Amino acid sequence: MPEIPRRDFLKLITTTLLTACGLLGLDTVIRFLHSPTNSPPQTVFDIGAALEYPVGTRTLLPQIPVVLIHDENGFSALSLICSHLGCTVEKKADGFICPCHGSHFGENGKVLRGPAGKELRSLRVETTPDGQLHLFLN
Amino acid sequence: MIRCVAWLPSLLALINLMRPSFFHHLHPPTIPAPQAQWRYTLGAGGIAVFLVLVLIITGALEMFYYTPTPDQAAHSVQTITYHVTMGGVIRNVHYWAAQFLMILMTVHLIRIVFTGAYKPPRRFNYLLGLALFVIVVLINFTGYILRWDQGIQWALVVGTNLLKTIPLMGDYLYEILIGGSQPGSATLIRFYAWHIFGLTLLAVILMGWHIFQVRRDGGIAVPPPSLRTDLQRITRYELVRREVLAMLLTSTVLIVVAGFAPAPIAAPIEEITAFSSDSRAPWFFLWVQQMLKWGDPFLWGVLAPLATLTVLVLIPYIFPHPHESELGRWFPKSNWLARLILTMIAVLVLGLTLLGV
Repeated sequence: MPEIPRRDFLKLITTTLLTACGLLGLDTVIRFLHSPTNSPPQTVFDIGAALEYPVGTRTLLPQIPVVLIHDENGFSALSLICSHLGCTVEKKADGFICPCHGSHFGENGKVLRGPAGKELRSLRVETTPDGQLHLFLN
Repeated sequence: MIRCVAWLPSLLALINLMRPSFFHHLHPPTIPAPQAQWRYTLGAGGIAVFLVLVLIITGALEMFYYTPTPDQAAHSVQTITYHVTMGGVIRNVHYWAAQFLMILMTVHLIRIVFTGAYKPPRRFNYLLGLALFVIVVLINFTGYILRWDQGIQWALVVGTNLLKTIPLMGDYLYEILIGGSQPGSATLIRFYAWHIFGLTLLAVILMGWHIFQVRRDGGIAVPPPSLRTDLQRITRYELVRREVLAMLLTSTVLIVVAGFAPAPIAAPIEEITAFSSDSRAPWFFLWVQQMLKWGDPFLWGVLAPLATLTVLVLIPYIFPHPHESELGRWFPKSNWLARLILTMIAVLVLGLTLLGV
């Protein structure tokens, strides 16, 4: 094994310890900043009685924002958050258009024109025993 | 009135006593005359420093009225703009000084590359300048977000969602910046802290270093004395006189523009996911917004801007430097490649920006 001069050895130890201290400090700062303080967003919405949305209707619920669809297969919902970078899409005659980068989605949420690569998210809707509709974002 | 006039001579006497002032202390005794001309430096760096001073003063004043909470922010901006005496002027000057700073920084960068002034030993200072450029863009963006109105809603959503597209660390970075899984009150206070303190402190430190480094590197880039045709120099008094002139002109332009073109303002955000038709990015990111229309957000929104920055960083390292005798003037022949590359970047960014307007 080659001999290391004492001076170089001490220098190496000092540099290593200082680097380790620095990294520990950085880790502390990153963890500190990562601590979430925004209250988690609402994920379940009570959207009223199922009877209010007859079969064959599509209802825009802008505050969530989704389109609630009631057809022969039952209730379903389409998220209006663009799958590209998260702007809220606008209802047009032939589907939905994102104001930010111009993605065009069909009535069923399929991509008609990019840049979006994925279709609009389909969301789960459940009917409670007393006929209320619950919409789940996750 | 008469009393004020009577005080004037003693005030002048006091100013006289203070000489040589701190202001003069910041300047070298003499500098080469051919390089101390507007047509060589364009005064861009100096005016940028003045704009930073204006921004710090007007920004500090805005802090007395601005409230960084989601339900109050946009209202407090309206209060500053329409209710507070002189508030509209202060806010407009702050806004326009920030936009002019972006333009002057760019002009300064172009001047440095087009005169080959990045040549060693000024290479490190060139990097400091680029770091300042990036930080000032971030300060401008965070300041834009502080309006928290419908005009900035999508810029906030898109800008932060871009972070999520970064592989592996994206989600973590997003949460650090946002303070949760969706923009909210923590987001606004974080952007506020970065805008008025974190980034600004960093910018001020780097700015001091940048200016110090100019003197360290021997002032403005000039050929060595043996190769100079004009050995004339100007005194620091002449230099300060020109600087004061630049400040007066800049202030005039700022006040006139602030008087005629008010800073953007819009209705408060009701809900971060509510539809807003105002979807345009801030003007200095319009080129990125245009690229995002082409497809993959990580490629066009993160990698492409980073690649542009990397090319700028590499300019003093990979392209031939101008010869010493060519320093101190525009368009040195030997750095044509660096100039061509910068021109191409500028044309590309400008073209994409114009498409997005």
